Amino acid sequence: MRITGVISLGAALALTLTACGGSGDAGKDGGKQTISFLTHWGPEQVTALKAAASAFEKKNPGVTVEVRAVPFANLLSTLRTQGASPGGPTIAGIYDLWLPELVRDGLAAPAPAAAAADLKANWPANLAEGVTKQGAARGYPNEVDLYALNYNKKLFAEAGVAAPPKTWDELVATAAKLTRRDGGKVTQQGFGVITSWPAGVVHPWLSLVGSNGGALLDGSTPKLDDPKVVAAAELYARLVKEGSTQSSMSSANANTTGPYLDNFVNGRTGMIIMANWWQSALKEAMGAKYGDVGVAPIPVGPGGTASAPVSYSWLTVVNGKAPAARQDAAWKFLAFLNGPDSGRNGSSAMGDILMSMGILPSRTGDLTAHQGDLSDPFIAAYVAELPNAKPFPSVLGGEAMSQAVQKHVENVVFGKETAQEAMAAAQKEVADVLTKAGA
Amino acid sequence: MTVGTRSTPAVRAASGRRAGARGVSRKAATIAFLSPAMAVIGVFVAVPIALTFWISLHDWSMYTPLSEMSWRGLGNYRDLLAGQEFFTALRNTAIYVLLVLVVTIPLALALGMLLYFPKSAGKGLARAALFSTYVVPAIAIAIVWGALYAPDYGPIAQAFAAVGLDAPAWLSDPGTALVSLVVFHVWQMIGYYTILVIAGLTQIPLDLYEAARIDGAGFWRQTVSVTLPLLRRTTTFIVLIAIINAIQVFDPVYILTQGGPAESTTVLSFAIQRSAFQYGMAGQASAMAFSLLLVLIAVAGAVLAAMRRRS
Repeated sequence: MRITGVISLGAALALTLTACGGSGDAGKDGGKQTISFLTHWGPEQVTALKAAASAFEKKNPGVTVEVRAVPFANLLSTLRTQGASPGGPTIAGIYDLWLPELVRDGLAAPAPAAAAADLKANWPANLAEGVTKQGAARGYPNEVDLYALNYNKKLFAEAGVAAPPKTWDELVATAAKLTRRDGGKVTQQGFGVITSWPAGVVHPWLSLVGSNGGALLDGSTPKLDDPKVVAAAELYARLVKEGSTQSSMSSANANTTGPYLDNFVNGRTGMIIMANWWQSALKEAMGAKYGDVGVAPIPVGPGGTASAPVSYSWLTVVNGKAPAARQDAAWKFLAFLNGPDSGRNGSSAMGDILMSMGILPSRTGDLTAHQGDLSDPFIAAYVAELPNAKPFPSVLGGEAMSQAVQKHVENVVFGKETAQEAMAAAQKEVADVLTKAGA
Repeated sequence: MTVGTRSTPAVRAASGRRAGARGVSRKAATIAFLSPAMAVIGVFVAVPIALTFWISLHDWSMYTPLSEMSWRGLGNYRDLLAGQEFFTALRNTAIYVLLVLVVTIPLALALGMLLYFPKSAGKGLARAALFSTYVVPAIAIAIVWGALYAPDYGPIAQAFAAVGLDAPAWLSDPGTALVSLVVFHVWQMIGYYTILVIAGLTQIPLDLYEAARIDGAGFWRQTVSVTLPLLRRTTTFIVLIAIINAIQVFDPVYILTQGGPAESTTVLSFAIQRSAFQYGMAGQASAMAFSLLLVLIAVAGAVLAAMRRRS
């Protein structure tokens, strides 16, 4: 990799695209429009999206929809290198943490009145509020993900544990019972954590923080030195010290798979906190053993009153740099894709696509249309926790903030910092990050 | 007279004009022949470097055109010096490069000699096999190594267990993750460096070995007094290339560790990518990239100077 070239090549690419951007139909407002949809979905979901696009094209002969799929790890970099160009993706599925920056730089266009009204009428108010920045709705919320305790019922039975832990004390005790040793070596860990993956590290830990009455931010002020937050880091340190959590079983790779997943699906991890979207990964990896998976609310800490898992969402935005006519066509397609006529049994096509991945849709009508699927025990446990969920703070500098927290939580897991040291350092770093980002 | 005629001012002037014309024409030819190469270097090397430096003086998220960047002066460089991230990445990169050099250079020399001097039929096959690891895309191999390195249940861990040893956690332990990446790097690149060594060995006249043998030199004496001194230029080149390749390591870090665990494998190239593409701080990333370029120039200059002094 040519280091000096990487940044400048990206810059040159952006400049070139900006200068040369726009396809042949760019200037023909009202004429034939070609819009592109950038997504990180897999082949099966892309096929479903293409089918929805074909149905839309039949009803709207003047519009062609192209689907561009990239791996999740490349989605943000693709947006950065292509997004500024009018020839870049017209629609993009994005993680809500990226929205403030996209809005600031004019890439997330404000929704037209019809789309804003659609949002208000058909989505839960908190989700519509989540996609509203600088006084305007910026896209359609799609998937909602939240965290819960996943556990292996077979390992619980073998350890003589009747029910999943409800409190941190029970979590520590249960983890100890589930931990097995062969000589001095731990062969089965009671409670698994994830490392080397920002969201995989921060979200589960922050779900424990929230369930202890703490929070990452108060507005744009970090609260990492709050005793309720430090207590969650101390919980991790205790679990590691007692051997119930093995740092060597925790790592993830760029595909968000790796040892942490392998250890859970192979029955070497008793409990882990994870989001609903990994249901499909569990089903695929565990086969018949998937039935062993149980889901329970996040255990509540001594400072908390109820489980408060972290939630986050994905939304589809329209490129504010695209020509007006193309933006109009894009909003029209999004209205169709998220509307009740594009899917099956009153669901939107988006709802069908999301449910095919085991992901919770956010449109009220989609939740109703998929009520049967949502009663699946795995999903139902997450749906039940939705009202308690706390959205991950979506602020400028959010990604850098998340990775600063990740570093110090990992330092606790690997014994490089005490809980107090880690949180004090994280507090300072996050404050610097947010100040610099202008949050 | 003839000589006198030749040396008249008119003749000298004519001769000077011809020489001048030849000079002009040589200059024109030089420019004509060098222009394509210089244009390519200018467009693909000089301009990106200049652009990188220019971006490093600004704040830029990459979502906006270059013309909308906001001026920051040397602020990004000040931030690099004030923060920990750059120095952590620099330290990890330095350790990585040192480990790669310490393992790669002696190993490549040993393998090169092993595959050059013995008269055996399978040499070509062995060279091809060794070189093949260099040809396969790093991304594809990194995924395979991710599975090989899996703690406890991975093939390498199983091999350790089979002989009664506890395997390290490899990529899952901050203490071994960087070393694991070095092992992967050496495995992938050793064939390339070995081929360079073999190419260097072919340039050493065989007469020298014959003379050394007549003088009573054994294998070690020949290696120390003939092979290694005459391989100095090749070795210098390999050291430089190995340093540059090691400093630029990115693919395995991105695929296997994402800089973790606990920042233990955050090398400069990954830190640059993360700043630019994940944090949207292309100015800071460019400052890191430009600093890395300066480090590379300094290291290359130091290596070349040291080698020149020795020779």
